[in-house]
Amino acid sequence: MIERKERKPYWRDTKWQMLASLIPFAAVMIVLPLYAEQLNQSRFIGFPLGYFLAAHGFFAIAVVTVASYVNRQNAIDHWHGANEDT
Amino acid sequence: MAFSARSRLVNPRLGTYFSIFAALFAAAFLLALILEQLSVSDSALRLAMLLVPFALYMAIGLSTATQDVLGYFAAGRRVPSGYTGLLLAMSATGATFLVSASGTFFFAGFDGLVLLIGGLSGFVVMAMVLAPFYRKFGAYTVPSYFGRRFENKLLRIVTAMVAAVPILLVLAAELRLGAEIAAQLTGFGIYAMVFVLIAVVSICVAPGGKRSFTWVGVAQSLAMLLALVIAATAVAVLVTSLPVPQLTHGPLVRGLVRNEVAQGLQLIQVWPFAFDLPAEGLQAITKPYTQPFGAVGPLGFAMGVSMIACGIAAAPWLLPRVAAAPGVYEARKSLGWATFFFGFTILTVTSVAVFMRDFVLDVVMVERVGPLPKWLFDAASQGFLKFDQSLTRLSFDTLQFDRDSVLFTLPVAAGLPQAFVYLLMAGGIAAALVAASATAVSLAAILGEDVVQGLSWEPASNENRVWITRVFVAIAACCGGLITLLAPTDPLRLVLWALSLTAASLFPTMVLSIWWKRLTAQGALFGMVSGFGAAAFAIFSSEAGYFGIPSVIAGSIGMPIATGVALAVSALRPEANRHDVEVIRDIRVPGGQIIYDREMQRLQLKKHTRT
Repeated sequence: MIERKERKPYWRDTKWQMLASLIPFAAVMIVLPLYAEQLNQSRFIGFPLGYFLAAHGFFAIAVVTVASYVNRQNAIDHWHGANEDT
Repeated sequence: MAFSARSRLVNPRLGTYFSIFAALFAAAFLLALILEQLSVSDSALRLAMLLVPFALYMAIGLSTATQDVLGYFAAGRRVPSGYTGLLLAMSATGATFLVSASGTFFFAGFDGLVLLIGGLSGFVVMAMVLAPFYRKFGAYTVPSYFGRRFENKLLRIVTAMVAAVPILLVLAAELRLGAEIAAQLTGFGIYAMVFVLIAVVSICVAPGGKRSFTWVGVAQSLAMLLALVIAATAVAVLVTSLPVPQLTHGPLVRGLVRNEVAQGLQLIQVWPFAFDLPAEGLQAITKPYTQPFGAVGPLGFAMGVSMIACGIAAAPWLLPRVAAAPGVYEARKSLGWATFFFGFTILTVTSVAVFMRDFVLDVVMVERVGPLPKWLFDAASQGFLKFDQSLTRLSFDTLQFDRDSVLFTLPVAAGLPQAFVYLLMAGGIAAALVAASATAVSLAAILGEDVVQGLSWEPASNENRVWITRVFVAIAACCGGLITLLAPTDPLRLVLWALSLTAASLFPTMVLSIWWKRLTAQGALFGMVSGFGAAAFAIFSSEAGYFGIPSVIAGSIGMPIATGVALAVSALRPEANRHDVEVIRDIRVPGGQIIYDREMQRLQLKKHTRT
């Protein structure tokens, strides 16, 4: 069980972790498609690069973002003793 | 090997059970393939591909019946993360993001990626901002969450009404698309098929509520994934000699880039706020595949992506799914799986669209010699496409495809046996069923728990609670069917409207209720209602032509309005409430008891001491 004095630092770390994961991701989500046209001039394994990044690249970014977030947030939980009983 | 308390809950034989189901489904397909070559009657094969999976789903649904409240409303909180993720991804995909989206990618090309990027972002946002906290709270429905979080019955009932609208829209969309596919498969009318689907959904889901939906849904998701992957892989092996359709269609895309413009397809830039994803029905290809912003403008794209992301993140038919995960850590992990399964499915769908564009390009190439290929006539005879059969040369504008049949045209164009078409149709119906069941069971839980019993905190006896919701599953499915029959609308449009209504009403208030301590019940209430009202008004006025922005994304203007109103009302009339502060402190920490279960125990104790 989490100690009373750990609550504030725990929530501060959780908040920063959320922002650090979400803001770069949201930026890519909005900006990447806008530059697809220019990127399409290059090629990657046969695909026009802009299309490849917006489809396969974005998929990889999303999976890596969630995986790293789950891993880091779990570490934060354990660090502050906020984790569930196992 | 050490087992934790939470992993001990999980049934260790799940893998075996679902391997058996997958083997049975694959065997049904292989048998259809063999019988087709042995010239068994076509109509019998079609009927078998509809009824065999139905029988399997109903058997699973009936065998997972339960009277236990925790089992009925949260599948006993023992669904492992992989299965929860699969269900989340496939309930969000449904037949619309599988069947209609393959047509959308086929016509709109790059602009269709708004669905992929929006959906993936939705799961990422849900993983970080909502899901772990919702799991810690543990409520069975979104209105119960709001009601308990703020100890406010009015908020609970209003949330139930706000949440019911988008759920009904999605239910109607999925039933309609599922019925259309089933009608194409069997040759019966759409009306009859709507009733069949309502019956199947009710029989599969009513006996065990969320528990039945969980295991039937996993089976349906597997059927859908198997169908899509088998067909796409077979075509990929034929066309590219490699069995990885998602990665090997690159050279085909390059071929499209080179040749489509030469054959007369030009990109016409649309205005920045445009959002003209192809409507249902027959239409010709008008834009090159890889060039962006020929159907959806740059700002429309950004607005569409944010709207779909926020809509999926707070969807009242998806979010309660995480309450069935064994713990907060598993809830987070399940969203990782959901992201993976959703991305994998939609990337396979894009490869289907590219293969189809390649086949069409072969037909319309000026250099082509000889008569028109046979597959065009085969597909036209099944109603998948239309062209003037007296012509000997075709161009992009003389060849019209049905948006919701593009997926099923693929095996015909690749010269594969007809059994592949039936397999894809069975997959499409499974996709419609998984999304329809998810919405029907969520709507039933909302109506039974938060509307009928909304005026009292103390729930009815365990048996009555389950029976009330069981009856509402059938009622909810019938309501969805009724909308489908009375007001048939483009399913993709309906789902996007539903997502924009959710993004405008539930998303901002839910996020604030976790991340902003000072949100009050009044703030949440006014924020939700004003966001919903603004979104609904924008959609109606855009449909009526009074508002320039397309109706599908117009609803997203409700998002800032809801946030602003919720913040302003809470700041102007602050309430220092001991209960709210304690609950929010508790929500934010994964460890400790599940808040909803603790409240239920407290109420039961109170009842015992009174009697």
